[in-house]
Amino acid sequence: MENQTAEVLVLGAGPGGYTAAFRAADLGKKVVLVDREPALGGVCLNVGCIPSKALLHAARVIAETREMSENGVSFGPVSIDLDRLRAWKDGVVGRLTGGLATLARQRRVTTIRGYGRFTSPRELAVELAEGGAVSVGFEHAIIAAGSEAITLPFIPASDPRVIDSTGALEIGEVPPRLLVIGGGIIGLEMATVYHELGAKITVVELLDQLIPGADRDVVAPLAKRVARLYENVYLKTKVTAVQAGPEGLTVSFDGPKAPATDTFDRILVAVGRRPNGSLIGAERAGVAVDPSGFIPVSKQMRTSVPHIFAIGDVVGQPMLAHKAMHEAKVAAEVIAGKNSFFDARAIPSVAYTDPEVAWAGVTENEARAAGVAYGKGVFPWAASGRSLTLGRSEGMTKVLFDEATGRVIGCGITGPSAGDLIAEAVLAIEMGADAADIGLTIHPHPTLSETVAMAAEAFEGTITDLYLPRRPGTARSAT
Amino acid sequence: MTEVSVPDLGDFADVPVIEIHVAPGDVVNNEDPLVTLESDKATMDIPSPTAGTVRELRVKVGDLVSRGSPILSLDTEGAAVEPPPLTDQQEPPTLDAADPVEAAREPAARSIAEAPVAGATAGAGEVGAAAGASAAAGAGAGAEALADFDGVHASPGVRRLARELGLDLTALSGTGPKGRITKEDVIAGVRGPAAAEGGVRGGEPPAGAGIPEVPAQDFSKFGPVEVRPLTRIQRLSGPALHRSWLNVPHVTHDDEADITDLDAYRRELDTAAKAEGYRVTLLAFLLKASVSALREFPKFNSSLTPEKDALIYKGYYHLGVAVDTPDGLVVPVIRDVDRKGVTELSKELGVTSARAREGKLGLADLQGACFTISSLGGIGGTSFTPIVNAPEVAILGVVRSKMAPVWDGEAFVPRLMLPLSLSYDHRVIDGALAARFARYLCGVLQDIRRLVL
Repeated sequence: MENQTAEVLVLGAGPGGYTAAFRAADLGKKVVLVDREPALGGVCLNVGCIPSKALLHAARVIAETREMSENGVSFGPVSIDLDRLRAWKDGVVGRLTGGLATLARQRRVTTIRGYGRFTSPRELAVELAEGGAVSVGFEHAIIAAGSEAITLPFIPASDPRVIDSTGALEIGEVPPRLLVIGGGIIGLEMATVYHELGAKITVVELLDQLIPGADRDVVAPLAKRVARLYENVYLKTKVTAVQAGPEGLTVSFDGPKAPATDTFDRILVAVGRRPNGSLIGAERAGVAVDPSGFIPVSKQMRTSVPHIFAIGDVVGQPMLAHKAMHEAKVAAEVIAGKNSFFDARAIPSVAYTDPEVAWAGVTENEARAAGVAYGKGVFPWAASGRSLTLGRSEGMTKVLFDEATGRVIGCGITGPSAGDLIAEAVLAIEMGADAADIGLTIHPHPTLSETVAMAAEAFEGTITDLYLPRRPGTARSAT
Repeated sequence: MTEVSVPDLGDFADVPVIEIHVAPGDVVNNEDPLVTLESDKATMDIPSPTAGTVRELRVKVGDLVSRGSPILSLDTEGAAVEPPPLTDQQEPPTLDAADPVEAAREPAARSIAEAPVAGATAGAGEVGAAAGASAAAGAGAGAEALADFDGVHASPGVRRLARELGLDLTALSGTGPKGRITKEDVIAGVRGPAAAEGGVRGGEPPAGAGIPEVPAQDFSKFGPVEVRPLTRIQRLSGPALHRSWLNVPHVTHDDEADITDLDAYRRELDTAAKAEGYRVTLLAFLLKASVSALREFPKFNSSLTPEKDALIYKGYYHLGVAVDTPDGLVVPVIRDVDRKGVTELSKELGVTSARAREGKLGLADLQGACFTISSLGGIGGTSFTPIVNAPEVAILGVVRSKMAPVWDGEAFVPRLMLPLSLSYDHRVIDGALAARFARYLCGVLQDIRRLVL
């Protein structure tokens, strides 16, 4: 391959990178997209969001058939062919990444497979996967280098029984006993999968609740369910040592409820992700990188070097594909001369666990910490006809409102399909909708989406599907 | 020690420094404005690239600077390491051969103050404040475009439109349901002169609605032509004048004041003042006399409510003074004229008009007037029709005084007469009231002892 020049160089072909590349190409730029992996799509498509959702769907089917057997519909014992399941998952991934390659071709985006590092503010050197190297000279660059799983120093990383999310998604085998270190979204999603595939799960979390970013009451239905289904959930617990032995991995714990040691067949490490800002020669381009590896950017996604932009996991939390994609468009548009800004007010987070947990905007914890005067409307799904017909009653929808303006500022939802339901709340936050706007919008009955309207009505005091004893001054319906 | 230089501003070169916000010894934070530059497109603040103490200024007001010109040196020792200033600008900068790699061989995590920025023409170690300028959207509202839209009641699509047009939504009020800012509000905000002051009145039709446009002409058919863009001031003041002219039913009332005695007194004061380095002009007396007349006729110190069903009477006396500058007409506001004496006013007028001519006035200097005086006395003329600076309701125009024969009942005596042209909003003020106001004003000017009554 010859050396290349680009009007826009994009480093990293995850959701942020390919979106930036495609948007820039659509705005008339000559784009070169560099990624070290063979398939476009980054972690999300290849070893993250997408394959995990395929496996979570399988887990959901297993759970539902088991639960339905109590209601008169039985299929007999579940039989799992891991190879076929894996092949189906890989097929889904292949279809999506193949689609991306086509989209890139149609836009005449040049893709280069290799490891890119800056050598100057105007040049990137790519160590080609096929061998050799090329340089890419560029007018503008967009760094979309993503993040990688954090490893723990005291865990023997070379032991094949220690896996991260990527290894977990390969479902090489289902261990009898699996320890999941980290009670966040990724750890719990993988726990959901492996639990339904037959592993006994132990989850260990350093903080005092699962999914620490969300409000405790929103996580509670999930916490209750996994406490019942999993072998152990240890909160406020630290893993202090891991000893690899022939019988398994012996883990030392330090926590109120955990035993001193226990032995597991496999360990999944899901303690978070670290940005890749320090791995790309950013200093040679003059791009400032903070000590933790994040690249600070402006609201136009500009780094400390005006013609170099950065987006996605590498610029900060939350490390989510949908955030990266929106940032990507801002960066590409600014490069093309448009006056775009990242002005989003809410970035939704979703744990695709069973039940799902989703939240957006301000959480109650954050509102309290920031001293925001807020009110809330809560609708328990036990009162939702649709939820009960799904055989589930533990969900809840909670909507937070600014006391001063009445507008929606945050939302937390737990239950099946919470991740899909949260979109309405995000739209409400972006549009500055208040409780009446949501409550007076006719939602189809019976659906789970009604729960958002019901929560708004609960706040307004107009709900009839619940009986909320009226306290003086609590009715908010002015008219 | 950090040298701060002019960052890459896009296509600007040789732009004047119009304001310096810091002095040696000042402690500045990251992103604090250091100096203001004015191009023909916009004024832009150059923010500090880091926290520190200003050691030495390298520019003075009026200097022409370009990318890389040194601005000042900053002592950053002891200052907390701030995150890099990541400033947005519309123009993607065009870079040329700078070699920041040399300087970049230090640890990566550090303040931008030390980080090399491509585009700084000076060598390694020189700081190019990262693209400091809030330069420059074509709309000339670049600085506002950086405002944070948190809390603004506008949908994502409307926020994007505002970003594209460089409009500050935080300064706009919406006409949509529950005060939401609509797309139409944004468009009106950009078109309307109100954008400059950041407000769109609800329900008001855009100025010029229903008025046929003057057809375009190809003048080059008739002879050689040259197109020169309007100055920024002209672009801002033009729509405001047009709006006033279309909205206010104007009447102009002429009168003459005998200022023979006043002028003699003024000359005495002026001679003394010259020694102190300032001048005493007629304008200072006109300001004091106007306040006296405004007190006597409070309707002249009022504005119509937006609904036009009530008058808002003002309990303060801020007077606009039209100043002719090389770039066009500006109207700085002299505050609390009622609480200042002729000496203080004279000094303030001197300073203010100098700043106006240097283009150093800020938005705050131009807001809040109750009544305006436009004096062409230094040039000449016999009378003219000043345009009311709405929402004010009257404006006083003054031309050159002249010695004229005045009949005192027995003989013609030479008196120094000052022609006054008072334009007023006929919705608020009727002809008789205007005549009384003018007479009263002339009376005060004729016998300035009445000013102290």
